[in-house]
Amino acid sequence: MRNPSLSSISRSEKSLFPYLFGLIFLVGFLDSWWRAEVRPLAFFEKEGREHLWKFLSGMFPPDLSWNFLSLMLHPALETIQISVMGTFIAVVIGFPFGIIGTRTFSVGGVLNEADVKGSPSRFVLRWSGYVMARGVLSLFRSIPEFVWAFMFVRAVGLGAFSGVLAIGVAYGGMLGKVYSEIFEGVNYRPLEALQSTGANKLQIFFYGWLPQILPNFVSYTLYRWECAVRASAILGLVGAGGLGTQIEISMRMFDFREVLTILIILFFMVAAVDYISARVRALL
Amino acid sequence: MDQYRLEKVSKIFDRRLVAVDGIDLGVQRGERVALIGPSGAGKTTLFRMLNCTLRPTAGRLWINGDEVVTLHGKRLREARRKIGTIYQQHNLVPRLKVVHNVLAGNLGQWSTVRSLSSLFRPVDLELANRALRQVGIEEKIFARTDELSGGQQQRVAIARVLMQDPEAILADEPVSSVDPSLATVIVKLLIEISQKTRKTLLINLHGVDLALAYFPRVVGIKNGKALFDLPPDKVSDSLLEELYSGHLPDNQENGLTDEESKPLVYQ
Repeated sequence: MRNPSLSSISRSEKSLFPYLFGLIFLVGFLDSWWRAEVRPLAFFEKEGREHLWKFLSGMFPPDLSWNFLSLMLHPALETIQISVMGTFIAVVIGFPFGIIGTRTFSVGGVLNEADVKGSPSRFVLRWSGYVMARGVLSLFRSIPEFVWAFMFVRAVGLGAFSGVLAIGVAYGGMLGKVYSEIFEGVNYRPLEALQSTGANKLQIFFYGWLPQILPNFVSYTLYRWECAVRASAILGLVGAGGLGTQIEISMRMFDFREVLTILIILFFMVAAVDYISARVRALL
Repeated sequence: MDQYRLEKVSKIFDRRLVAVDGIDLGVQRGERVALIGPSGAGKTTLFRMLNCTLRPTAGRLWINGDEVVTLHGKRLREARRKIGTIYQQHNLVPRLKVVHNVLAGNLGQWSTVRSLSSLFRPVDLELANRALRQVGIEEKIFARTDELSGGQQQRVAIARVLMQDPEAILADEPVSSVDPSLATVIVKLLIEISQKTRKTLLINLHGVDLALAYFPRVVGIKNGKALFDLPPDKVSDSLLEELYSGHLPDNQENGLTDEESKPLVYQ
């Protein structure tokens, strides 16, 4: 039995914590409200109302002239192409780094018990590979794609390729992290069974490993592609090509009707991409 | 000829968890042996050494006259190919179709290219069909494996071993996840298969009755050691009592298994 006085102290400590936490949260919340200048009523004040109205009415009607729409066709296509190429590069980066960053593979070794045990130097090598892959992935994804685009525009010049690189690097970091979580969840037992039939590593990969990861792998990659379509539109604002560049131009010319047209195009594009990836996922 | 020879074989995980503790055992080609004993006795770990998944920490283990520590690469895979394993949890790939799980028994013989192409268009469909017919579920050949019941999946696992056509079959608790009436059917099926093609059959069983009824040699394993190694009529009640003392054998039928009752270590 525990000392009763001790247990009563620990109980009172325990019960104090939620209140303390709640208080800190409340103070933090109110402080954020104040400092972030959250003023919902701004919409209803006379000045705000006028600005909002000016902006919105300036957008109507959208410029649906064939002249402008045909002009937007190429940037719209470019936005999709940037997102596809960017996602491709992200997979190329994320997949290998994701594998090296998967603990059970790089450090533990799922099936090579006998081999792994070997020398301490190999163990250090595997560990440092794991740590490095993890570090690179978190560096890639901690810098926003917007900032990457900013840097790549300076490195490779204005245009689509800097957008592709920005998405590729930033999304590569995100994909790699999630991939390694997917890989971590692979059930090793079927792999062990395949190994015990005399299968080699590649055969185990195709028969046991790939079928297990494929659904999550495809579905998360498609989700990232959806995000990449939106992102590639934004990246245009810093000169990385696509629809974003057109938004920027129209905004600078205060032609909000054109802006609305571009937003409508973007809406349909994102909806179409959502639809396509939902259909593909349903197939899995 | 010796299928297996074990001299003081031990397996220690993490330098302190003793799973198998100095077992001596010899198994002849074509012999039929049942291993019984409480959960956590080390039976599964022993089997994972016998099918070349794990290597002994200490002691010597020969398979077909080859000492396992000398086997690497191609020769190791060849040794594995000659041993077919049936697992308690089937260890099939759930998302693959039944036909691919069955044909996976061929991986040791197939080239990588052939195995890959089979995933798109099954080769040796007739062989897979025959194996499934032998275990009585040929109609499931194109079903997805995770849609089958536990008993059906165990049959698929047996069909995989039929496909593999090994010299020895290791069955690790093959019936503890199926209902008792099916358990007898599956054990009989395994015996029939091994007798027909003169394969060695080693089986881990929780059910003492099945072991005593169908196997000419019964080995009792407790705390990683072999407690007895006798024909069934010599296995007395007092021996069984000693084997399971400190354990509740009734709980083990559907309760904890070797693998779940202690942490698995793969390093």
